[in-house]
Amino acid sequence: MRVMSTPKSLDLTITHRCNLRCAYCAHFTSPGDIGRDLSTEEWLRFFEELNRCSVTEVTLSGGEPFYRDDIKELIEGIVRNKMRFGILSNGTLITDEMAAFIASTGRCNYVQVSIDGSYAGPHDVFRNDGSFELAVAGLTRLQKHGINVSVRVTIHRHNVQDLEAIAKFLMEDLKLPGFSTNAASYSGLCRSYADEIQLTVEDRSIAMETLLRLNKKYDGRIGASAGPLAEAQQWLDMEQARKENREKQSDCGCLHACGGVFSALGVRADGVMVPCTQMSHIELGRINQDDLGEVWRNQIDLMRLRDRRGISLEDFEFCRECEYIAYCRGNCPALAYTILGEDNHPSPDACLKRFLEAGGRLPENGLKDI
Amino acid sequence: MKREDKPLADPLLVLREEFDDWAILFDPDSGDSYGLNPVSVFIFKQLDGKHSLEDIVSTLKAECEDAPEDAESFVREFIEDLIVKGFAGCEFLPQVGAV
Repeated sequence: MRVMSTPKSLDLTITHRCNLRCAYCAHFTSPGDIGRDLSTEEWLRFFEELNRCSVTEVTLSGGEPFYRDDIKELIEGIVRNKMRFGILSNGTLITDEMAAFIASTGRCNYVQVSIDGSYAGPHDVFRNDGSFELAVAGLTRLQKHGINVSVRVTIHRHNVQDLEAIAKFLMEDLKLPGFSTNAASYSGLCRSYADEIQLTVEDRSIAMETLLRLNKKYDGRIGASAGPLAEAQQWLDMEQARKENREKQSDCGCLHACGGVFSALGVRADGVMVPCTQMSHIELGRINQDDLGEVWRNQIDLMRLRDRRGISLEDFEFCRECEYIAYCRGNCPALAYTILGEDNHPSPDACLKRFLEAGGRLPENGLKDI
Repeated sequence: MKREDKPLADPLLVLREEFDDWAILFDPDSGDSYGLNPVSVFIFKQLDGKHSLEDIVSTLKAECEDAPEDAESFVREFIEDLIVKGFAGCEFLPQVGAV
């Protein structure tokens, strides 16, 4: 696959700091948790390079982006350098004045706020007490100023039974156009509390069935690129393909996931360029020292990640005798790394064969719904 | 637009040059993107306020051996489309004595 001369977008971890300590935070204790933030000037200087490279969009994350006192200055730098932006936030620090400022730029694609319950209980249980109320207040302020708010629901053991109420709360009470879901994954802090947080096989089966049903009820307004809903959609399709003995698809049967390294790049809070904020252990270079375009086009580890698409799943003992190989893309390399210490490997986390062997079940009637 | 007008592209637009001389024209204010073919990219790069429509057509014909005879009408249409979209404009000097 051909690679653009520069990345189209960048994911910037602008701070390693946060006012919360969510038990399943993917950042803290990960390789990206490096304990140092760049100065305002260093980020602003980098934004000028992004302008020269015709980067069109950046996503600001952390830590908590609004924890930085200079967040407005950084956003002004993004705007000045002809880019649009998105922000991933816990929502708790968003004031009315900040929401008004973001709206005034006219360049905000979205602010994503994490909401994990229809009430404080399932949200605050793994976040700080009182954070649900603050997050909803922040979200409401963004809505008031006409900002596109996207909510991310991270599914875990204490909210899997609340999904129906969450959907109603977000789309009927708060009148959001939709929301997206994932699941607490084995990364960052979650690794220390995985047995208390992560979905069991039974929870996962319930979540898949519930989310498919809700998505039908709400006309497809629930999205997912990972977690139970994405898995339900992908796995049902794989099961259908297996039953029909379909031909192997060109992008299956090898480590084809993910496509991020072909369009985006990440930057850690200390200015180290990484393939993705979830793969912060792979250091590609340093901003304001190494040329972005050169790193993007020629950095050897980045090229290795792009080349993983040529690695056949049949080469792995892990995939031996799997009936789904011809329909599988090997899943997230970052999760493969955090679980196995190896990114050039299929991720065990989203493996349909293992899910079924562990007693998991695909949603009944699901094949009719996809 | 007159032949001697010297159109100027909106400096806030981003031209992302991609494969085989194609490009994406990105408007950060709206978030809209437009694909430009190589000839359009060539023309767009001439919209610097220094080249007239006549200059651009002349350069295009010199650069492209198979440019059609009526290239001017295509170039004019493309630039006028950009002007309508607000992506380019023609600089008009104030008249002497105007208030």
